Amino acid sequence: MNNIFDKMLNNSWVELILRCSLGILFIYSSTHKIINPAGFAKIIYGYYLFPHYFINIIAIVLPFMELVTGICLVLGVFPKPAAAIINGMLTLFIIILTINLIRGIEFDCGCLSFNTSGDFTHAGWVIARNFLLLLSGLYIMFFKKRRLFCLYRNS
Amino acid sequence: MTGHERHLSPFKDITKKIITLVVFTITLAFTVNYFSPRGIPAFGEWDTSIGVISPEKNVDHGLEINYVVSAKKIFDSGKAVFVDARMSELYKEGHIKGAVSIPLTIFYDIIDDFISKYPTSTLIITYCSGRECQDSHELAQLLIDEGYEKVKVFIDGYPEWKKEGYPVE
Repeated sequence: MNNIFDKMLNNSWVELILRCSLGILFIYSSTHKIINPAGFAKIIYGYYLFPHYFINIIAIVLPFMELVTGICLVLGVFPKPAAAIINGMLTLFIIILTINLIRGIEFDCGCLSFNTSGDFTHAGWVIARNFLLLLSGLYIMFFKKRRLFCLYRNS
Repeated sequence: MTGHERHLSPFKDITKKIITLVVFTITLAFTVNYFSPRGIPAFGEWDTSIGVISPEKNVDHGLEINYVVSAKKIFDSGKAVFVDARMSELYKEGHIKGAVSIPLTIFYDIIDDFISKYPTSTLIITYCSGRECQDSHELAQLLIDEGYEKVKVFIDGYPEWKKEGYPVE
């Protein structure tokens, strides 16, 4: 049993699937924000957490951070540093979502799309989803065996 | 890989690459944003005490009525038409008494009918859901583009009006 678990933890194919899935998800989640930065800035404002000076800067930079790190994971360029940045972002998202969950503020997380219907996904579910993604990110980051299909493996 | 890089500790190596990725991404983000037609300025207007918020600094604060009392005075004078920019569903749930509904999404479907009822010399007061809602400003701009000369935006909108106990229906 331990042997199977060990093989799963150190399996290059598992790493490849997780890396590509996480990468594609981050690329996908960045597109609607890049297309509509003004809309994303309003979503960030809706969290009621960020100083006004940083709202537009976050709206400009964060989607590209998701895009670039997502591409890095899929192509296998700097996979470890890219996974580290993604894990950092996911940790921040979890903290921010938890704060708003505790405050009881109903809001659009803006994670994978902008909500126009007013029917918001429950923050608890989004936090659970981010935890699963963080686990994938940690697996990719601490993976020590040979990574498959990497353009620039040396990282 | 250079000889210098080869001797970096794993921690220093990953830190260096993270910094490289971050710097590259920030440069890319601001460059694309600068040239994009949908780009936004680095700083927006997010202080509701100044007026309606906006990521693009494109709000004409000169149009704004900043106090509920001022809006009520205009309402009492009977010289203005209040126009509700919110979705039809919200209008039906409740609106300022006598207000006309022009949701932004169907503006061009109903504007001809509106113009036929209210000449362009009419004083128009637009409103939506408050200072975090830009629809009233967008509606005001569309009405100005249609030739309306006297357009104002009641920025506190329906929620504050209702809170004050002013006439609704």
